[in-house]
Amino acid sequence: MQFRLEKRAEPSRFMLYATPVGAVILTMIVGAIIFSLIGYDGIGAVREVFLTPLTNAYKWQDLGIKAAPLIIIGTGLSIAYRANVWNIGAEGQFVVGALAGTWVALATYTMSGPWILPLMILAGVVGGALYAAIPALLKTRLNVNEILTSLMLTYASIQLIYYLIRTVWKDPMGIGFPQTRRFAASAQLPTVIPHTIVHLGVPIAIVVALVAWFIMSRSVFGYRMRVVGAAPHAARYGGFSENKTIWLAMLVSGGLAGLAGVLEVAGPFQRMVPGFATGYGFTAIIVAFLGRLNPLGVIFAGIVLAITFVGGEVAQTTIKLPDAATGIFQAMVLFFLLAGDILVRYRIRRVVTTPAGAA
Amino acid sequence: MPHRLELIGITKRFPGVLANDNVSFSVKPGEIHALLGENGAGKSTLVKMIYGIMQPDAGEIVWDGQRTVIANPKAARALGIGMVFQHFSLFEALTVLENIALGMDAKIPARELEARIRAVMTQYGLLLDPHRTVATLSVGERQRIEIVRALLLDPKLLIMDEPTSVLTPQEVEQLFEVLRKLAAGGCSILYISHKLHEIKALCDTATILRGGKLVDTCDPKAETSRSMAEKMIGAGLKDIVRAPGRTMGAPKLVVSRLSTKKSGHFDVPVDGVSFTVKAGEIFGIAGVAGNGQNALLDALSGEILGEDKDAITIDGYPLGLLDTTGRRKHGLCAVPEERNGHAAVGDFSLSDNSILTARNRLHMVMLGLINSGAAKTYTGKVIADFAVKALGPGSTAGSLSGGNLQKFIMGREILQRPTVLVVSQPTWGVDAGAAAAIHQALVDLAAEGSAIVVISQDLDELLALCDTLAVINAGQLSEAQKVGEVSVEEIGLLMGGVHGTSEARDAIPA
Repeated sequence: MQFRLEKRAEPSRFMLYATPVGAVILTMIVGAIIFSLIGYDGIGAVREVFLTPLTNAYKWQDLGIKAAPLIIIGTGLSIAYRANVWNIGAEGQFVVGALAGTWVALATYTMSGPWILPLMILAGVVGGALYAAIPALLKTRLNVNEILTSLMLTYASIQLIYYLIRTVWKDPMGIGFPQTRRFAASAQLPTVIPHTIVHLGVPIAIVVALVAWFIMSRSVFGYRMRVVGAAPHAARYGGFSENKTIWLAMLVSGGLAGLAGVLEVAGPFQRMVPGFATGYGFTAIIVAFLGRLNPLGVIFAGIVLAITFVGGEVAQTTIKLPDAATGIFQAMVLFFLLAGDILVRYRIRRVVTTPAGAA
Repeated sequence: MPHRLELIGITKRFPGVLANDNVSFSVKPGEIHALLGENGAGKSTLVKMIYGIMQPDAGEIVWDGQRTVIANPKAARALGIGMVFQHFSLFEALTVLENIALGMDAKIPARELEARIRAVMTQYGLLLDPHRTVATLSVGERQRIEIVRALLLDPKLLIMDEPTSVLTPQEVEQLFEVLRKLAAGGCSILYISHKLHEIKALCDTATILRGGKLVDTCDPKAETSRSMAEKMIGAGLKDIVRAPGRTMGAPKLVVSRLSTKKSGHFDVPVDGVSFTVKAGEIFGIAGVAGNGQNALLDALSGEILGEDKDAITIDGYPLGLLDTTGRRKHGLCAVPEERNGHAAVGDFSLSDNSILTARNRLHMVMLGLINSGAAKTYTGKVIADFAVKALGPGSTAGSLSGGNLQKFIMGREILQRPTVLVVSQPTWGVDAGAAAAIHQALVDLAAEGSAIVVISQDLDELLALCDTLAVINAGQLSEAQKVGEVSVEEIGLLMGGVHGTSEARDAIPA
């Protein structure tokens, strides 16, 4: 008796949606085992990381503001990845979007009016898209791999933060702290639920994902992205140029990362600080895959990953779990998800071999 | 004398298919035995079990009177079974000698191997320079490498899988000479094909498979091609029906001095191709694979963008600078050779595959949004009109068999009523029933006044279907000739073209 992988006639829709759930459950089980083995309270760790953020109503607002940037960036990445355009540098585009918004906020510091925030948001989107245009240009003109260029540009963007906040944008009242001054009231993102920290970025994230879902499933743009990713040769035959698709994918994913960046700097931070780049752009890669590259799925995946962020902080204080634990849980989710993907196209069958010649 | 190979009750099941159902036949020493059947009849599965690539679920293989389990291809070769596959496994950048050395189970010093290769080549008249790079060889020469590779093992049974599908008529004749010599020396040959006249010319016995079952074992010389074809497809064959008194109209498609740039290292570009197709005419382009057919199709469809607007015109309107979408809007539709991943997306539903090429001509797009209802309706019509066996417009293209997918793709283009339709290998790997339906649809479209270009390696198909024929060789197109006024030998010589013929004459000692 042995087990064999057998190709399915059609990809299983059940498995397509079941494997992300399975990956999260497996992460909990294996996480509990691993942390028990290295001497922590493993079951407690899983409880604190995955359940406390849900059961403790006080943590819900944290979940909302952590999930919002993940959903916005993840939506953009899900569009690009559909077309097999591997933008790994969303973190950099997130940072540059935030810097562009900061620039508008600082330039309009002495002014006020309802036009400042929309202008900042526009600058953020354009900034993120322009930063993503660099890998797109290199890819389409010189065939340079976009994975490398977009990733490397992330580190360049973080140096750009350090440079700007130590020199031209340094807070004059900051007693030497390398950070910008706090944005004026007109440049701060308003909260949408009174007496909480839930800012306008949360409803924007949901709207972005819903609009993206509609466009991806109903429009020629969405069709283009899907067909280029599924069969590039067929896409060319169908009249979709590859270079134009790369440009669209990079600009849309970069623009959305920039949007998330400007919302983050105008919302929770309200100033640019050295530690601004906290890795949302990288975690959003997991969000995009866990959401099955479907904007609706990305909403749920963004919430799941936000849970691990919030839960990871909880576990640090309650059971002294190290900071890196959050990363380990997030990585395990991606690992089990990608491994489980094989079940979408294959099934496991137990085979009983009959010896040849037994007819 | 015992049979060389005997199969008793071989059965092989795949998920959802019974690939071989209780198949029994035997091959005598020195016999050339044809294995005949449509695509999907189970020929490949059967020989894969003989060559040890797969194991039967039931039944037994008897080799020289001994019951045997052939665990893997290495075991098959040790028994004396050689196989020449339809698709060669050669490294283009290496020489003939290096390629053969890589395929050997035992390590043999290069000098000794070369001596043995030369001995085998002289014995069977297979001339080849062992030091030439594979990339410089024609397809027929490449096949000779595979044959030499198999013969070095001194096989008692040689399996040939569709060996002539890529050869010119002259190369086919040379191959048959080699096979007859081998058989005369006592080697049995299992010859897989669906080309009936070849089987009548070459084989002593023919085993016919249909739907995994053995239909008949017969003497091909005593049968007619038609009777064997009918056993193969299990029904009477339909002839192509042409409306009587067809007349051709004015020139529709005019191609003048169309050229493409060389893109890949081993890619053959199109070099100054000119031809004219009239309304109602079916224009055939014959040629051995790899002579620029792919580049020609891409240049005509618009996948390769042109630089001269007048290189391609329809009714005088220049299309040379337009992309595929622009050309389709002006009535030029095309079907490439590769179905999965080029003409269709396997993971997409048939409905989504209709959107791929029909969205603009049939107004499936409004303000950038897709009207999926219109796509579904059109797909349903294609499925019904072309008798595509599919559950419905929602089935994925990848779930269809090759023949059904091809019927869908042809239907998708033909029902758009293109002014000009360019198709490559319209019936490649398609069963005879589906092929007849596709041929009829092309003839009907031409009868309505469309101009049709058929690029194919199957000369029989072109001769049956086309009004006019030209041959592509090394990217250049020969003069067009009327079918019926041109001999097969003449076309064969053109197909051999500059490379091939002279070498081929040297290759066979008189």
